[in-house]
Amino acid sequence: MDRSLVIFVGALLTFSSSWLGLILFPYWQLQDQPPYQDTAAGGEAYPRPLAGQALAGRRVYEANGCLNCHSQQVRSQKFGNWWEDGVMRTGADIRRGWGARRTVSRDYIYDRPTMLGTLRTGPDLANVGTRYSEAWHHVHLFNPRAVNGWSIMPPAPFWYAREKVVGGQKSDRALRLGREWTVDPGYRWTPTDDEWAAVVAAHGPALRDAFAATHPGVIDLESPSGLRQLYAFWLTTEEEDYQIVPAAEADALVAYLMELRKAETPLPEAKE
Amino acid sequence: MTNPPPMTAPERERAARERGAIDLSCRGPVLYLATSGVFWLLVGTALAVFTSAKLHTPALMAQTPWLFTGRPRMAHLQAVNLGWASLAAMAAVVWLTSRLCRVPVAFPALLYAGGTLWNVGMVLNVGGVLAGDARGVEWLEAPGYAVPFLVAGVGLVSAWTAATFGRRRERHLYVSQWYILAAVFWFPWLYTVAQLMVFGLPGLTRPATGVVQPVVNWWFAHNFLGLWVTPVGLAAAYYIIPKVIGRPVHSYYLSIIGFWSTALFYSWAGMHHLIGGPIPAWLSTASVVGSMMMFIPVIAVAINHHMTMLGSFHRLTYSPALRFTVFGAITYTAVSFQGSVEALKDFSEVAHFTQYTVAHAHLGLYGFYTMTMFGLLYYMVPRLTGREWLSPLLIRIHFWCDAVGITWYFVALSVAGWWQGRMLNDPRVPFGDITEYVLPFLFQRTGAGVLIGLGHVAFAALLVANLGGWGRPRPGGPTYFTGPAAVREGSTTPPPGPLPS
Repeated sequence: MDRSLVIFVGALLTFSSSWLGLILFPYWQLQDQPPYQDTAAGGEAYPRPLAGQALAGRRVYEANGCLNCHSQQVRSQKFGNWWEDGVMRTGADIRRGWGARRTVSRDYIYDRPTMLGTLRTGPDLANVGTRYSEAWHHVHLFNPRAVNGWSIMPPAPFWYAREKVVGGQKSDRALRLGREWTVDPGYRWTPTDDEWAAVVAAHGPALRDAFAATHPGVIDLESPSGLRQLYAFWLTTEEEDYQIVPAAEADALVAYLMELRKAETPLPEAKE
Repeated sequence: MTNPPPMTAPERERAARERGAIDLSCRGPVLYLATSGVFWLLVGTALAVFTSAKLHTPALMAQTPWLFTGRPRMAHLQAVNLGWASLAAMAAVVWLTSRLCRVPVAFPALLYAGGTLWNVGMVLNVGGVLAGDARGVEWLEAPGYAVPFLVAGVGLVSAWTAATFGRRRERHLYVSQWYILAAVFWFPWLYTVAQLMVFGLPGLTRPATGVVQPVVNWWFAHNFLGLWVTPVGLAAAYYIIPKVIGRPVHSYYLSIIGFWSTALFYSWAGMHHLIGGPIPAWLSTASVVGSMMMFIPVIAVAINHHMTMLGSFHRLTYSPALRFTVFGAITYTAVSFQGSVEALKDFSEVAHFTQYTVAHAHLGLYGFYTMTMFGLLYYMVPRLTGREWLSPLLIRIHFWCDAVGITWYFVALSVAGWWQGRMLNDPRVPFGDITEYVLPFLFQRTGAGVLIGLGHVAFAALLVANLGGWGRPRPGGPTYFTGPAAVREGSTTPPPGPLPS
C-alpha cells in the first residue's frame, strides 16, 4: 500500500478519535439541556433567553473583545489546591463575592456565543448584574479610573455623547461625574494656570460656600493651601454647561451586564 | 533501515540541477505566500505592541473605538495566527513538498489563487475585527464574511499538496512529508468543523449550544497549534537541521513514534483550558491525560533533533538558518514540557486565568514556531531568488532582538502570571492590588514587544532587499554570517546517509 495512504488514513483516524471523544460525546450529553423550573415552588424558568437591549448589549460585549479580560464562570467551592494554606485553599471565586454558587452548564444554555473567557485581567462577570447599579456601570464604562484609581480597563467615551445643557436642566440620564473626567472624555483633565485663575476670580466665593455646605471646615481663599483645596474640590464638581449622556451602545451594554446573573438562582446540580 | 551508498559526484550534480529546477518552479508562489505572511507579521506585531501599551496606559487613543483594547487584541491574534503563521506554513508546505516529492510545481495558478483568497480573507478578517464585527469566540473572531475566503484559500493549497503527493517521483516519504500531509488535511477540516459547530450555517446547520461552544472552541484553538502550526514547524526543523549540518536525522524509528503519538495525543489536549469551568469533569480529565501523553512525542522529537545536532553546535555561529531553527527546536522541547505540566489541575489552579498562559502561548507560537519559520526562510529565500542576504549585521540584529525579546517577554509574564494566580486564589487580596502588582510587568511586555518588532523590521528590510535584487548572486551552498573557507568546505562534503533531497 502507498505510504501516503497510510499516513492519510492514520491522520484521519487519530483526528476523528478526538472529535468523537471531545466534541460529539459532550454534544450528545449537553446539546439540548432544558431550563430549570422548580414546579413545586411555582418559580419561573431559569435561565431565560436575553431579549431587547440586553441582547444588543451582548453583541457590543462580543465585538469589543470584553471576554479577553473578563471571564464568566464561577468555580466550585471545592476547586483549589491541596498545598495552599487555609483561606487560599479553595473556593476563592465564591469568597471574592463573584457568585453565590458555582456556575454549571445549564447556566449557559441560551448564550450565543458562550463567553466563558480564559483570562482574569479584570474580575469575573458571571454574576456582575447583582453587584452594581446601572449608574455605576455607566460611570465605570465612561472612564473606569473615575471609579477605581487602579483600574487598567480602557475607557469607552465613544459610547457617550458630550452635549451642551439646554434650558439649564440636565438630563436624568446624565452621568454624575466631576469635571476632571468629563471635560476631555477618556482622559483626566486639569485646567491651565490661566483657566484656573479665571475660575477663582469668577466663582471663588461661590465655590467656597458650596464646599462649606457639603464638607467640614472652611477654605481660606487667600492662602495657597486653601486654593489647593478649592482646586481639588472644583475638579470633583460637575460641569455646569455640559453633560455626558449614554448613547445606544452604552445603554445596550449596561442592560446586558445587568442581566448577567448566572450564579444567583439555585440549581439542583450546582451544590458546591 | 539501511543507508544507501553515498552518491557519486555526477549523481550529486544531477540532484543539484534537479533541485535548482524545482526551486525555480516554486519561486513565484512560494515567495508570494511567504512575503504576504511577513506583511501580516508586521501588521500583527504593530497591533500587539499597541494592545500591550494600551493595557498599561489605558487612556492611549481613548477616543478611537476601533482601538479599544479588545479589538486590536483580537486583530493581533488573527493577524499573527491566520495571517503570518498560516501563510508561512503554506509557503513551507509548498516548497518542502516540491523538493521532497521531487516534482516541479504544476498548476501554480492554484497556489496564487489560494494565497490571494487567503489574503482577501485576512483583509476582511483584520479589518472587520477592528471595525467591530468580531465574534466573541477566542481564535474564531474572524467575521462570518471573511471565513469562506479563508476556507477556500487553504482548501486550494491543500488540494494542490495532495495532488503533488500523487505525482511524486521520490517514493520514499521523508518525515517532514508525513507531518505536511497530515497538517494540510487536518487544518481545513478543523477550521471548517469548528466554524460549523460554533456558529452554524444559517438555514442549514444548528450551532452547538451552551458550554458545547467553548468545548469546540478550545478543541479548535489548541489543535490549531497542535495539528497545523506544530507539524509544519517540525517538518521545517526536520528538513533544515540535517540539510545545513550535512547529517541524517538521528533515528528513523523515533521520528515514527514522534509523528504518530503527536497525531493521537495532541488532538486530545485542548480541554485543559476549561479546567474548573462549567463542563463535565471527565472532559478536562481526558485532556489532562492527552497532555501528559504528549511527553512521548516531545521526548522523541527532542532526542531526534538534539542528537542530530550533537557535535555540530559550532555551526550555529555561522549559519543563520540553523541558528533560528535550533532556537525553535530547543524552545519546542521546553514549551511542550511546560505545557504538559501546565495542564495538570493543581498547576492550572494557579496559572489559569493569568498572564502565565499568555507567556506560554507566546513561547510556543513565537519561540518555537516563528523562529523555526525564520530559519526556513533564511535557508529558502536565497535559493528561490538566487541572491544572498544583503547584510549579516541585519541578520544578527534580527536574531538577537527576537531571541532576547521573546525570552524577556516569557520570563516577565511568567513571573507576573504566577503571582497573579496566587493572589487571585487568596480572597483577602483586593483585586486592585493584583492589578497594581501586574502593572510593571505589563510595561516590560511592551519593551519586549518593541524589541521583537525591531527584529521584524530588520527581517522585513532584508526580505525586501533580497526580492528587490540587492545582495550578491548566490554562489551555492548555505548562507553564512561569515565565511571562513575551512568551515565552508566542511559543510559541503557529501552527507554520510540518506538526506532529504
